[in-house]
Amino acid sequence: MQTWIDGIVDWLFGIPTWLHDVISWWVRAIFWWLSSIWAIFVYVWSVVVYNIGFLFKAVIFPGLIFIVMGIIFAVWSTRKLWGRIQARRGPFHIGKYGGLQLFADAIKLISKETIIPEKARRWMYRFLPSFLLIIVLLPFAFIPWDSSWFIADLSVSLVLVFAFLTAVPVIALLSGWISGSKYSLIGGFRAANNQFACEIPMIISSVGPALLAGSLSVMGIAQAQAGIWYVVLLPVNMVTFLVAAIASVGTFPFDAPVADSEIIFGWRTEFSGIYFTMTYFAEFAEQLLYSALLVTLFFGGFWGLPFIPAVVNFIIKFLVVFFFFVIVTSSFYRLRQDQIVRYCWKYLLPLSVLNVVVALLAIAYFPGLALLVIGG
Amino acid sequence: MKTDIVDDAIEIWFGPQHVSAHGWATKLTLVGDYIVECDPNAGYFHRSAEKVMEFRNFRQGALIMERLCMLEAFLAEYPYVTAVEKIAGLEVPERAKVMRTIMMEASRIHSLQFWWGQFAAELGLFTMLLWPWVDREFFLDAFEELSGSRHAVSYNTPGGVKYDFNEGVIAKLERAMDRIEDRLPKFKDMLLRGPTFRVRTQGIGQFTAEQGLKWGLSGPNIKACGVPMDLRKDDPDPSLAYDMCDWEVPTVHNEDHPGESDAYDRMVQRFLEVETSLGIIKQLLPQVPDGPIIDPKHRAKANRLPEGEAYGRVEGTRGVTTLWLKTQDKAQTPWRAKIRGPCFSSYYSLKHLVPSSKFADFIVIFGSLDPYPGWWDR
Repeated sequence: MQTWIDGIVDWLFGIPTWLHDVISWWVRAIFWWLSSIWAIFVYVWSVVVYNIGFLFKAVIFPGLIFIVMGIIFAVWSTRKLWGRIQARRGPFHIGKYGGLQLFADAIKLISKETIIPEKARRWMYRFLPSFLLIIVLLPFAFIPWDSSWFIADLSVSLVLVFAFLTAVPVIALLSGWISGSKYSLIGGFRAANNQFACEIPMIISSVGPALLAGSLSVMGIAQAQAGIWYVVLLPVNMVTFLVAAIASVGTFPFDAPVADSEIIFGWRTEFSGIYFTMTYFAEFAEQLLYSALLVTLFFGGFWGLPFIPAVVNFIIKFLVVFFFFVIVTSSFYRLRQDQIVRYCWKYLLPLSVLNVVVALLAIAYFPGLALLVIGG
Repeated sequence: MKTDIVDDAIEIWFGPQHVSAHGWATKLTLVGDYIVECDPNAGYFHRSAEKVMEFRNFRQGALIMERLCMLEAFLAEYPYVTAVEKIAGLEVPERAKVMRTIMMEASRIHSLQFWWGQFAAELGLFTMLLWPWVDREFFLDAFEELSGSRHAVSYNTPGGVKYDFNEGVIAKLERAMDRIEDRLPKFKDMLLRGPTFRVRTQGIGQFTAEQGLKWGLSGPNIKACGVPMDLRKDDPDPSLAYDMCDWEVPTVHNEDHPGESDAYDRMVQRFLEVETSLGIIKQLLPQVPDGPIIDPKHRAKANRLPEGEAYGRVEGTRGVTTLWLKTQDKAQTPWRAKIRGPCFSSYYSLKHLVPSSKFADFIVIFGSLDPYPGWWDR
């Protein structure tokens, strides 16, 4: 016979069961949680192991870390070369030959206070510099440092590179607009003006190599130059591309967008601290990108002396072209923006079109020659 | 519905916190890329030098003058010194006259070298900023050897000069002149024959000689129009030695626009000025006579001046620099000193020169007139 005491006993004996059920539910839940994390980890690891080559390329060489170190080296070498050209010594205090100066500068710039003007659009002010840097860094994925050392190879990568680069002056114009300063606004318009002047000659200049190689892929163009460098066949296009590239970067003599004696620092006037650092790095990244594109399109890419590695071949030519950039930037006066447009449209555009026409005629009437050029 | 293009105008302040505006501010009204109105403003560099001079004695006043424009310190202090000499009746010895002239011409070269660099930097070539400034150091070394100071030399003093030449000074002056003679062709290549320099300066900031005279311009700015107006020749100062040497007033005659000058002509004019100054120094250095360097009675005479007024003037690097001095009887300080700097007129002539030019050309026009804010704010 059941008494009320039995009910209490049952209830008391039920507590451990209940506790056991609760605890085992939690254990199972935690175990399920951990195992799913583990599964994700296993999945990621398998992806990493499966794509280790691609990841290494994307992150270390010739990807992000290599490019960022390259930019730092480029800033250092530019300052050092400018110093030598201008009868002074350049940075020499920190590190051997001032090699660590740029790291010190970067730390200083990053730790500076960011002052956002009252009239600036704050969200865009914070967003645009990093966006600019990303846009400029992305096309490096298509640069063929070797027949195997590249991040991505698309059949239209040349078009994609120019598509990315077209966004740069738009960002410059936007940053001039949102900075809330008249000097920045004028600088932004001047940046757009520069691109208006030089973009068409630049893209037409790159049509010649693409025609000769029969490919719109940067990799394909580089590989097609095994027999002969295109600078021999298209010297005029090389020159027009170089001039247009300098104009597009916006350094001397085409530095109207950031003319410091006229409009303080152009569209970068109001950027401070880390945001200024990003725009500053983006300019050098753009110079490096155009140097690499010049090597790829005209100077035979990774082809060169057969007894040294292809990557070294590429980097030697790349440094020579970059050195030329530095020489040019320290030996010309600044052109006015209407003069930039006039010279680009009056001289660069007809010359670049002319050489493309010559290449077309050669392909049409001397197909044997064209085959020889392509390499059979 | 807009009816007037000026509705789109924006006002922009060029200075006082602009990187190229060191001590001045100009309000520009822009329509598109064109300047329609230019309003130069003085007062951002004011140090009340004229008032300070009323509380300094007649030896200290020259120091105030040279601090107005440190680049031409030897020239800047001269109007005050010569005005005091005229009132006090001091006789400058022959040796001091020649030494003064030599150092004033050296100061002129050094100031013009500074200007080449500054103008090139305003046009965007930083290399050309540093190259003349390296050569300028040689002149500064000579000044340091002479007076112990590189910029604030305080060399001229009522009655003569303070420091005598020694072999070190002459050697350093000759080294500096050899250096600049060696480098002049290079600078001409980089400045006058550079294609990017020509397209930026030719036809920019053009004005006629009549306009320049009306605005009160003097010095290289008016000589570039072909007007041989030079105080050194027109009004030879008895306490300077310009008559001891043979030289011509340099002027530019441009075939394309005779009687007018643009920024390019003013650059050419300043190269000619340097060559003329080099010639004067070269002729004067061998004929420095022996003798005292200062009037022996300068302590007694320049301490308390009799009542009177005098007008001291000199052909400075940037134009005619004058000072009017009035003294009361047996006072230790001037009653009034009024400075007329050469750059006041060139700065305010921007008001007529700049409108209808492009915004990017404003700094070219400004730089080509070589204005120094110390001369209009005093």
